[in-house]
Amino acid sequence: MDLGLVVYALNLAAIYALMAIGISILWSSVGMINMAHGATFAISGYAAWLVTGALKPVVAATFGKTVLASGVMAAALVSSALLAGALCGAVIYALAFLPIHDKPNYPVRALIITLALNIGTVQGLLYFFGPRNQGLPKIFGFGRWEIWGAKIRYDQAGTIVGAAVIMGLTLAWLRYSRRGLEVRAMMQNAEGAAYSGISRQVTALPILMLTGALAGMAAALLSQTIFVSPTAGVVPLVKGLTIALLGGLGSVPGAMIGALLIGFLEAIVGAIPFLGQRYVMSATFAFIILVLIVRPRGIGGLLDDTRE
Amino acid sequence: MAHLTRYSLTSESRRLILKPELLQINQLSAGYGPLRVLHEIDLTVRAGERIGLVGLNGHGKTTMMRAITHMTGWQQGSIRFNGVEIGGNRSQGAGRRTPGLVKMGIAVAPQGDAIFPGLSVRKHLECGAHTKLAWRERRQRIAQIYKIFPALDPLQDALVGKLSGGERRMVSIGRMLMADAKLYLIDEPSLGLAPKISKRVMEALWALPVEGAMIIAEQNVSLLTGRADRIVGMHAGRMRGDVGHVELV
Amino acid sequence: MTNRTFYKVGRRPWEVKGHPDGLQERKRTRVPFTRRHWLKWRDSHNPKNLQRERVLADKKPLWWAIALSLLVIVTPFLPNSMISTASIFCIYAAINVLWTLIVGTAGIFSLATLAVVGVAGYSAAAANVYLGVPWPFMLLIGPLVGFIAGAVLAAPSTRLDGLYYALLTMGVAEICRVFVVQLRALTTTNGAITQVDSFIPEAWFLQRPGLLLGFAGAFCLLLGALLVWRLVNSERLGLLLRASRGSREDESFCEAVGIDFRRARLQVFVISSAALGVVGAFYAMYYRSISPNIFSLDQLLLLFAMMVIGGLGRAEGAVLGAAIVTLIDKGMIELGPLRIILVAAIMLIVTIFAREGLTGARDQFRDFRKRKAGERRAHRTEKGGEAMPEEAVDVRDKQELYYRRFNKRLRDRLKPMITPELIAEHKADPLGHHSDALARVLNYFRRAEMVDKYVIMRLKDGEEAYRIMAVSGVRGMPPRVVDDKEYQALNDAYHAVFLLRVNDLLES
Repeated sequence: MDLGLVVYALNLAAIYALMAIGISILWSSVGMINMAHGATFAISGYAAWLVTGALKPVVAATFGKTVLASGVMAAALVSSALLAGALCGAVIYALAFLPIHDKPNYPVRALIITLALNIGTVQGLLYFFGPRNQGLPKIFGFGRWEIWGAKIRYDQAGTIVGAAVIMGLTLAWLRYSRRGLEVRAMMQNAEGAAYSGISRQVTALPILMLTGALAGMAAALLSQTIFVSPTAGVVPLVKGLTIALLGGLGSVPGAMIGALLIGFLEAIVGAIPFLGQRYVMSATFAFIILVLIVRPRGIGGLLDDTRE
Repeated sequence: MAHLTRYSLTSESRRLILKPELLQINQLSAGYGPLRVLHEIDLTVRAGERIGLVGLNGHGKTTMMRAITHMTGWQQGSIRFNGVEIGGNRSQGAGRRTPGLVKMGIAVAPQGDAIFPGLSVRKHLECGAHTKLAWRERRQRIAQIYKIFPALDPLQDALVGKLSGGERRMVSIGRMLMADAKLYLIDEPSLGLAPKISKRVMEALWALPVEGAMIIAEQNVSLLTGRADRIVGMHAGRMRGDVGHVELV
Repeated sequence: MTNRTFYKVGRRPWEVKGHPDGLQERKRTRVPFTRRHWLKWRDSHNPKNLQRERVLADKKPLWWAIALSLLVIVTPFLPNSMISTASIFCIYAAINVLWTLIVGTAGIFSLATLAVVGVAGYSAAAANVYLGVPWPFMLLIGPLVGFIAGAVLAAPSTRLDGLYYALLTMGVAEICRVFVVQLRALTTTNGAITQVDSFIPEAWFLQRPGLLLGFAGAFCLLLGALLVWRLVNSERLGLLLRASRGSREDESFCEAVGIDFRRARLQVFVISSAALGVVGAFYAMYYRSISPNIFSLDQLLLLFAMMVIGGLGRAEGAVLGAAIVTLIDKGMIELGPLRIILVAAIMLIVTIFAREGLTGARDQFRDFRKRKAGERRAHRTEKGGEAMPEEAVDVRDKQELYYRRFNKRLRDRLKPMITPELIAEHKADPLGHHSDALARVLNYFRRAEMVDKYVIMRLKDGEEAYRIMAVSGVRGMPPRVVDDKEYQALNDAYHAVFLLRVNDLLES
């Protein structure tokens, strides 16, 4: 296996992991399968496109064609995507969590509401922006490095590094901060959390905003490789969901391992000459089905060894 | 149930009567759906008092604890805590106000412990430190809890999900002790524990250096006698007998 | 009986009640070859006037008949586009009803419904086009393929639960789509099989008679799906599964009593898959072609939206949802992408407010009303103090509860009236003309129940010696002696009884 393939696999894995971790955290803490994650992804992409489009002339006028200008553009792109993702999270909180979170049938209803949000958003984006693909400015620039004979594109490297940094920050936040401790406590026992002074309504909002921001980050990074379009969210959503399931819903390390596995699997299947890109999806599904039939609780089931 | 023969106010209890009322429950009724468990309960708890709540299974001890923290299906009647009304009519939203009440100063060690199986003992105890002050000095407080329950000291980094029932109970009580509460509610501290361990847990409870009042629900009266300031009986959802220091025949 | 007006008794004054002749024998027609009846009549007597009454206990068949016959009667008069909308509605509703059988009755969260339809449709169409099988045989090939596909899909459902299985089935649909699109033989048509023979003559295709014929076929398909639903859900398999639904405990219970619910689940899955195979063959014939579009996620989501809007797990929900969504999706085509947004908005609003879709709204409201009534009763008992709410639920005659409450209030009102003066007044003259307060108290005593009512016994005929006894209240059980005091004057005995009763009143 050559290095280019590894980098490509890591690139895929990084973006899948960003999506899958968001879905996984949400499921275990708020008890919601967020089908609107894809919508968040698409909206963030469009927000970044609008903001950078509006800022381009201004930045060009003030900074000219300097490194600073591209830096400002990059910051604007990432921050607008993050902000839009967090806002989407807040909307999901208001529609799919707050009205029904202590009503009967909550998990299924939350799934349906977020699904409806997803369908509505995709169609709404189609209605406003049309089906045309929109390109975002390349924040990492064009070009490639040559390392040991392999060519690594800037955007691939940037995506891997950016995703790793964001995920590291998220995990550190979950692990070491007080709010993260509260989230983890709520993930494990809602009643105990209530007796520890942790309110579900209050904690759910930052979680939803965080996972939304993760989806926004994924959108900003993936937009370096592909275009922004109304249906751009569907594939990352399906991939994120399948990987979260593969990792055993609710297990963050499981989701990361799953993302790595699937990233490499897709890179390898895509590279095999007679299979090609067309069979990537089928191969992924076949692999996940196989894993789930062998281990019904996914990878997370292997990692979890506490007793109930 | 045990026969309560002789009761008299000890000097200790008499001193307590002068203290201000911390919790005043007035005509509290509560239940789940069409089921009414508590019937017009009146109870007054003074600051610093330790109350034993006795009664058979299914006579409303746990429901009363849950009603104080708004965990029942519905409830009505007045609960004044520290001069603030926290009761009132409510017919839905179990647990919605619980975190707020906990922050007001009611600490709970619930039945079944409600532990977080994936957290280590240390993190678990940190969860209990929900006030600013407690969070700032959480290290000292955790050290103190290890002093109270020495069995937990070697288990600091063990996951709570892997602990035994007695250790879990200690963790649960330890979490309750992390913040300075005014009222401690402890539900069945001896439930499901071996007699020796339950005795040890109770000893630790009595020895606690807490300022606030404490209500301990317990089926085993012998674990309470001689130690509680008052013993209150519950029968069929009503208060039966509110006596001072009790000796068992 | 004289011509008196009797007002209706009970909580449902709007219920239409028949009054069959009391002398006639009761007879009901049965469904041929079975022991079932067509409609569920409940015969009873009005508790007030003892007339025979007859109430339709389950009105659902009536609504079904009205709705379906309306559809049949109205459709031939509609314009062409609406006729095809009605046919599509019938097909979707049939798929939904069968899907409901899988999701609701069997409790398997499968998303491969359309995949089964597609696989069966493709197989039938391929048999017709490439092997030259005549079209009536397509309706046999379809279910056969559906049966096999169902059996293959059902196998992992015992091992995976819930979402994991949903994911698996979604993956199967995707794999099917990719496979069909990649087929060499179909690349010219983008994966579609065209020129399928059909029950609609080629000359009539897309003409009015053809559309009407197509509608007739689709309607029969819907009726068939509903029949399958009825036979599976309400007969043995459905009953077995109903016992196991709900929670893990229910499943353990079923295992303990020997209900093999897993097997029943698989059977339901396979049966409805075979039925879906028929739908697939019909689908190919109706459109005279079949395209990979049927495996797409959008189509699946549209069907899912139908089920959700109508109510997951109910046949009427599946049909109602199909009607709403098909009307929006196919009937308002001029709206463009807005109509999907409209469907999503309806889905959102219905799910936020309704627990189980539109058809569950009625039950939800009833539950809400029942809960509120229960809570109110629980609150109220504090004032009545007579019937615990648990008991109140069990007491069948609710009037009893109100009678107890009335008595309690009466007692509360009488208690303060009892004063030493009142007792002195009675002692002075037990039988005489009494003051208002004493008259009220005595009136209450007179109304007391027979159980433990005090009576005076003359010890010997002609002698003035009395004792007080209490009636047992049970026929054949003699009264018991209350105490061994003897009274020499009747008035003393009267007063003693009065004192005993006052004592009981004050103690209650």
